[in-house]
Amino acid sequence: MNLDALIAYVTTTPLVWLIITISAYKIGILVYEKSGKNALLQPIVIAYMIMLPILILANIPYKQYFESVSIIHFLLGPATVALALPLYKNLKLIRSYFMPIVVTLFLGGTFTILSALGILRLFDASTTTMLSMTTKSVTAPITIITAQDIGAIPSLAMGFVVITGLLGALFGSFIFKILRIKHDAAKGFALGLISHAIGIARAVEISDKAAAFAALAMGLVGVVIAVLLPIVIGFL
Amino acid sequence: MLHGMLTLLLFQFVGECCVKLFVLKIPGPIIGMVLLLLFLLLRKSSFSALDVTVSWLLRYLPLFIIPAASGIITQIDTISNEAFAILSSLLIGTFLALAFSAKLIDVLISRKEKTHES
Repeated sequence: MNLDALIAYVTTTPLVWLIITISAYKIGILVYEKSGKNALLQPIVIAYMIMLPILILANIPYKQYFESVSIIHFLLGPATVALALPLYKNLKLIRSYFMPIVVTLFLGGTFTILSALGILRLFDASTTTMLSMTTKSVTAPITIITAQDIGAIPSLAMGFVVITGLLGALFGSFIFKILRIKHDAAKGFALGLISHAIGIARAVEISDKAAAFAALAMGLVGVVIAVLLPIVIGFL
Repeated sequence: MLHGMLTLLLFQFVGECCVKLFVLKIPGPIIGMVLLLLFLLLRKSSFSALDVTVSWLLRYLPLFIIPAASGIITQIDTISNEAFAILSSLLIGTFLALAFSAKLIDVLISRKEKTHES
């Protein structure tokens, strides 16, 4: 028996962190399904709550952890390209309400960025925080790859994305009730526009129509912000 | 499945090459996504290998985010220093943006349906 060799292997192999990360996500899926797919108990939220304490307690440098699980991170690239397919399949919905969709996409997309930045400015937040807030309504994979390019901190931006998603899902029903929103297409589009994938999960609970419009909104706003944001920030 | 993965990697690669060649500020995978969308629109249909790969990738998408998202442990100082600003911005900003967008598109849809009826 060679205990030292075993310890040396366990503390250096990427397998340990791969197994822990995938397990945390698996537990997230189990909890989400056990809860009857409650939009607020997203697998990613559960996985976060498991992973963060483990990483802090293990006292592992983040860089070392990231390198261990970089094979998982790599899949974000092809997964982002893959978003073209659901967008393609939902694109025909545009024809039914072309003007309402285009107008809301640009005004709503601008509003979500400017309202968040305005409030941060009021409280003298740092530039990095403000840059990381610009992608709050964008779906997570697009956020991560865009954040690096605009000088934001991807993980901070990701935190904002997840919280924005949860808040949108939490406020949705209340807002739709007090503002007397009539159309399921409008509810879904607003949820996907502001709260990305978590908004879609909430829209699924409203109706199939709401879910389709949420998916369309998420795809459109993701592309538009990813394309326009680096250009706008480049000019500032 | 293999054909689907190959398609995605190819489009990502072409996207990244475009970024380098034309010195674009847009991330490569986004260009790849837009090119794939254009390809599908021209082809007028998807194919089953792509469907299978895409549904597999998108099903586990939140998992792929965990490595980058866990970097939040390096940001604890920023978050605790600016906690009030960040929380206010997220809470108020998200509430207002959702209310604004929902009301806007609801009114626009109602108006459009009214003009169709008359």
